[in-house]
Amino acid sequence: MTKKGLILLLTILMMMGTVLPVFAQGAAEATAPAKEIELRWASIWVGADSKAGPVAAIVEEFNAANAGKIKVVIEPQPDYNAYEQKVRTSLAAGIAPADIFTIKLNPTTAEFYNSNLLMDFSKVFTGSWKSSFEAGSVNQSTIGGKLKSLPFETAILPMWYNMDILAKVGVTKVPQTVDEFWSLMDKLKAAGITATSQMTGDTNAWTSMIWFSHFAVSLGGPDVWSKPFTDPAFVQAAEYIKRMIVNYSTADAIGLGAGGSGGHFLAGRTAVFSNGPWYAGRADLAATPFFKNITIAGLPGFGSTSNYMISRIQANICAAASKDAAREAAIVKFLQFLTSPEKVKSIAQPSGAMFAVKTDAKPANHLQVQFTQLANSVAVSAPDFEAAMGAEATKEFTQQLSALALGKITAQEFTKLVALKINQD
Amino acid sequence: MPRLLFLLPVLVLFIGFFIYPFLFTLGTSLTRWRGIGSMQFNGLKNYTRLLADPTFRLAMKNNLIWALAQGFIQVPLAALVAMILLRQPKGWQTLRTVYFLPNVISTVAIAMMWTALYNVQYGFINEVLVKFFKREPINFLGNPDFALGAVIFQAVIYIGYFMIVILAAGMNIPRELYEAAEIDGASVFQQERYITIPMLRGTLVTTVTLAMAYGIRHFEATYLMTQGGPMHSTTTMGIDLYDKMDALRYSDASTEGVLLIIFGSVMIVVIRKIFGKSDPMSEMAQ
Repeated sequence: MTKKGLILLLTILMMMGTVLPVFAQGAAEATAPAKEIELRWASIWVGADSKAGPVAAIVEEFNAANAGKIKVVIEPQPDYNAYEQKVRTSLAAGIAPADIFTIKLNPTTAEFYNSNLLMDFSKVFTGSWKSSFEAGSVNQSTIGGKLKSLPFETAILPMWYNMDILAKVGVTKVPQTVDEFWSLMDKLKAAGITATSQMTGDTNAWTSMIWFSHFAVSLGGPDVWSKPFTDPAFVQAAEYIKRMIVNYSTADAIGLGAGGSGGHFLAGRTAVFSNGPWYAGRADLAATPFFKNITIAGLPGFGSTSNYMISRIQANICAAASKDAAREAAIVKFLQFLTSPEKVKSIAQPSGAMFAVKTDAKPANHLQVQFTQLANSVAVSAPDFEAAMGAEATKEFTQQLSALALGKITAQEFTKLVALKINQD
Repeated sequence: MPRLLFLLPVLVLFIGFFIYPFLFTLGTSLTRWRGIGSMQFNGLKNYTRLLADPTFRLAMKNNLIWALAQGFIQVPLAALVAMILLRQPKGWQTLRTVYFLPNVISTVAIAMMWTALYNVQYGFINEVLVKFFKREPINFLGNPDFALGAVIFQAVIYIGYFMIVILAAGMNIPRELYEAAEIDGASVFQQERYITIPMLRGTLVTTVTLAMAYGIRHFEATYLMTQGGPMHSTTTMGIDLYDKMDALRYSDASTEGVLLIIFGSVMIVVIRKIFGKSDPMSEMAQ
């Protein structure tokens, strides 16, 4: 090849180097037609998700009403873990993952609030729009005076009691006192029935983490997460969760994932289970012979706090900041539409999901009814461990929970080891 | 100049997708950065903190165990099977395909299958242990005393890839050498010991190096089966790094990435030193 040829090749490569980042950086801007503003929504409510249908209908309705002006395009994100990775890496690379996207707001993801890529809703989130949201959820989503994500899907995390199994040991109502609770556990064990579906696997030991959160909040009060993790409330909660895993759970609890934990309950192998309202809409649950005899309730007060519930904001909605005022206005217009009580009701009713927006939705099945009643009846609610402590502490919690259950470490050592990750700079 | 031009596309890709990310990672490892906002220079503090972290040290040890298991259990197994197949016993071509088959199945599917096999309540392995050996079931993936061994076992038994490499090299050994040895009265064992192994030495060094490199960077199967647990007993540097990224500790993750590259490089240098002249890469370099 001649020198001219070499220069030509290098020029082409340099041009490609210049052009490619344009595609990578601003897909939103690059794809937006001159007249119509196209908004990309990286949505997790797609595929088999119980909210997928109503959400798609809302988008369709919005697009029809704003034809030629704004068009919302759903980018399906069916794998939540992969989606979370996408959000993290995109923001780290200085790119918003989409015009609209969701996060699970916790101490780890609160870091996103330091990003200029996220729109701050605090100036536009006023009046009737603001008052249609539950104030507590809005407060939880406001950090340093900024509202860079809108609280949307919420959840309470109670216990699920298979009353058919409880009836086998002569128990007809959920335990109201700690003595009744241990008595139930012992009766089930004596009858050869596995009482609960515990687990120490996955990245958050999900169902056991919920149990632990119940114990901790009851023992230490709703503000327990602000205490040092070596506080006696956590040590005692650790003792309780160990007892549950060792004495009253399936043999495979250590190392088991959420699929296995839920699978035991669905198969009728365990009597008590813990999970959020989204589980109530499952077709495989509805197909179980005990579906109609599931009672949703809390645990009795193991400490001084009773009539409490563990809750979390399951999904916060974020939007990409833009220098284009019209684009930001379009985002706000769509989010106001999506979060209007009428639209939220249309999602809540068939799916049974709970939301930070106040609606008069009437849940579809008896479990969803129980969820709503329970959420409205408790005196106080507090977040679960993961929501309160973030990703890294939760992973350490999971790792050390196995050690605790196997007797490799004491409850005090467990809390100290987890505390190291919480206090890590 | 034309020779350089042939190298240019690869060089551009190498710079863009290895040199630049490596330098970025190296730079990030010297900062405090959580993926958002500006980076603050932090000197070598990340390195000192990471080297004092018990989880990291355990991960490094596990990586070494993985590398040794893949290099010195998986490759010898593959070599043994390859040497048997080189003798072309009846049905050897079918066996060759059968041994290689797991290599075309996704790691995810294999990991899921082994998770089920190892299950303490319903797994086939425990069923055999209980029914035929009258033993208590073992929570292979839930017990830190067994978990690492269980995860390594499900990986090293799939010898197909290295077996094919060794088999291909073995096919090139002149048959006359074996015929001559047979005339001289050499037994099968002696033929393998004095002809096959020396002739395959270069290939074996390459496969051991490759296998150990795979071991050093191991991630997928363990993450799918145990997420590094229980008690971090199966954590590798890759998993620890991933967890740090998950917690938005990008500078710590970068530090671990740099140490992982250094660890891998040192290991490769050591292998080349140990095997000396047999290493085809060394021969090419001379």
